[in-house]
Amino acid sequence: MANQNPSSIAYWRALTAGLWRENPTFRLLIGMCPPLAVTTAVKPALTMGLSVIFVLVCSNLAVSAMRNLLKPHLRIIMFTLSIATFVTIADLYLRAFQPEMSEVLGPYVPLIIVNCIIIFRAEVCASKANVLISILDGISFGTGFTIALCILAGIREILATGQFFGISVMPTAFVPCAAMQMPVGAFVTLGLLLGLTNLLTAKKAG
Amino acid sequence: MLKIKYFFQQSWLLLFSSFCFGLLIAVANTAWLPIIEQNKKDKLNNLMRGLIADANTFEIAIEQLQIPIQKGRVEKTNVYKALDDKGKTIGFAFVAAGSGFADKIELVIAVDQKCEKFLGFKTLSCNETPGFGNKIKDKFFNSQFNNAPAGKLQLVKTGNPQEIDNEIVAISGATVSSTAVVNMFNIYIDMVKQELQKKGLF
Repeated sequence: MANQNPSSIAYWRALTAGLWRENPTFRLLIGMCPPLAVTTAVKPALTMGLSVIFVLVCSNLAVSAMRNLLKPHLRIIMFTLSIATFVTIADLYLRAFQPEMSEVLGPYVPLIIVNCIIIFRAEVCASKANVLISILDGISFGTGFTIALCILAGIREILATGQFFGISVMPTAFVPCAAMQMPVGAFVTLGLLLGLTNLLTAKKAG
Repeated sequence: MLKIKYFFQQSWLLLFSSFCFGLLIAVANTAWLPIIEQNKKDKLNNLMRGLIADANTFEIAIEQLQIPIQKGRVEKTNVYKALDDKGKTIGFAFVAAGSGFADKIELVIAVDQKCEKFLGFKTLSCNETPGFGNKIKDKFFNSQFNNAPAGKLQLVKTGNPQEIDNEIVAISGATVSSTAVVNMFNIYIDMVKQELQKKGLF
């Protein structure tokens, strides 16, 4: 890394920050509504994750492109405007081409507008960095968020139904635990995963 | 004049972006709205066809029928006429809405051509608690409405769910959702029957 161009290091950092080091769900604990609400199965979790990636990348791109024109007192309204536009487009797309998933996700797709990961990245990265770094940052944080959702959803789906991505993976003797599909299942799984994350981080630091 | 100039200096980006983003949404909406509308129609048709298997087509028999729900609230619904290959009416179907435990429940309910018995129901939208209220979709509860008399239904806590009569055995642990479904049947069927009778459709 020492011989690398400083800009390539910045690009690499932008591309990897959200995956683990600053993972929004496991490390920063922001945008916690979808991890609790839409992780009953992997399919809706993946759909939500991909929608968030789309919104993050597009809003970061829009905010970064206009960053030099932004007036400080208007920046939040500009962020919200761009985020709301791309969320509406994602919602319309899902309703047109993925109607079943749109129904399963219900109000949680329009609620991406108030997901703090997106406004956080617009404020911290896109309003200060160039377009390429902002896009990489959007991909990184969106992917980190999607991976976290899929891990949570995978565990819950297997324990609640014995299936993964709708395919049966457990032996016939397996007794499904309905509680894992309910909010309690989301909180318990998330809590255990956060504990595991802390353990791994402490081991790495120690 | 200076104030107007200052206003535009401060907000031109916001005004311009609002126009551009609004245009983007309008383009997406125009392009995808027909598909979204078609998806809704297809879903309703599939559900109605699932209830009235012999139906070839569905036609609107009563448009925007007003159903007083509760506390002055009114829901509007279309009543569809199911026609077989020969164009003969073989039943009616309509969308019923009511408040469940977690959210609004929407059902597609079907009755036979004489409005004497229910042909069953299917859920159009239901966000009830998984494992509890969500069980309104299960055969145990759902099948009790197939061929039940198209009149006032009564929710009971215990009984034989396989016996087809006006008594519906509630889902244990989901009384609110069970009550909501039975209430929807009771509220809607009266109004639908009256209106169909008025129009001489059966």
